[in-house]
Amino acid sequence: MEKLAKIQLTVLASYSMPFVLLSALLINTLLVNNHVTGGSLKILLLGGAFPLGFLAGRLIYVKRSHVEILFDDISFSVIKGSRETETGSWRSFRLVSLVLDQFGKPNLRLYRAVEGEYVDLPISKTNADPQRFRDHVQSLISGVRIRKTTPQVVEAA
Amino acid sequence: MQSRSLSEQISPVDAFELNLLRGGSRLIADLTEFFRDYKVDDTTFAIYAKGNTRNKGLFLSRFFAWTVLPNYPVSLFCINEGKTLLSTESLRKRIETVTKVTDEDELQWAWLVVLSDRALSPQIVSFVSRYDRKELGLAAASTSSKQIVLSNNQVGRSIGKQLKLRKALEPNKHWRN
Repeated sequence: MEKLAKIQLTVLASYSMPFVLLSALLINTLLVNNHVTGGSLKILLLGGAFPLGFLAGRLIYVKRSHVEILFDDISFSVIKGSRETETGSWRSFRLVSLVLDQFGKPNLRLYRAVEGEYVDLPISKTNADPQRFRDHVQSLISGVRIRKTTPQVVEAA
Repeated sequence: MQSRSLSEQISPVDAFELNLLRGGSRLIADLTEFFRDYKVDDTTFAIYAKGNTRNKGLFLSRFFAWTVLPNYPVSLFCINEGKTLLSTESLRKRIETVTKVTDEDELQWAWLVVLSDRALSPQIVSFVSRYDRKELGLAAASTSSKQIVLSNNQVGRSIGKQLKLRKALEPNKHWRN
């Protein structure tokens, strides 16, 4: 199976920053208790708050928000954090589109029927090229995607 | 399936769609859903995009849009004729199909962009430039000669100004990831 994933830096940073601050406070308390009050050693040790904070943030990010899309020519599954949020077979869908979310990021929408029930794949949270992935999925889904319009009535003169 | 490399060329249809995906139509309409190879009766639209006239924005622009702008449903249709000769007859048929969809979906107005790999005939140039139905903005463009003709209405003129169709036809100025 192929895998699409990307570390969402903004989400990771939002998880990490409180831990960076907390680590910095703890390190500072330790340094004050040990009478280290100035100099480059203090700055160096306080700098350790970043790797510690990002490590804690990354653990939470991977557990809760990291998105992976696993797919092959038959099926797909979406994993968010440690949960599988969506799974399905390409053949059970008839229409595919790209939908822009509220931030203007493109996601993939799979329709089970024309203008019917649909499933959204969050490809903007992965490293997928939206257009290429959509084209690939379009070649995998089943069904004849023809929309029929109703003939227009013409009034006789 | 991952991001394109810098050297990779993309087709004019892909480039046009990419510009729309990046909010190229934002000043006039907020197109939010994009279909490719969308078949309506016997016409295949290379791009079919749906949206409305009220854009989203952030805080102030969203408030402005919500209070001032009307929220009409609108659509964009793009046909790639390839090497097939674009005649006025075939163009009329395309317009008829778009009009049917516009009526069925109760759209306020729509854009129809027709791309051709051949040079545009004088008949097509005349037909498009004289087209003035206000509900449909029409554009015909040749990917070989880079000629673009727009219909003589406000929606049609916006295809050139806002949708930046010319940029999509220029191979060296494609938007890349």
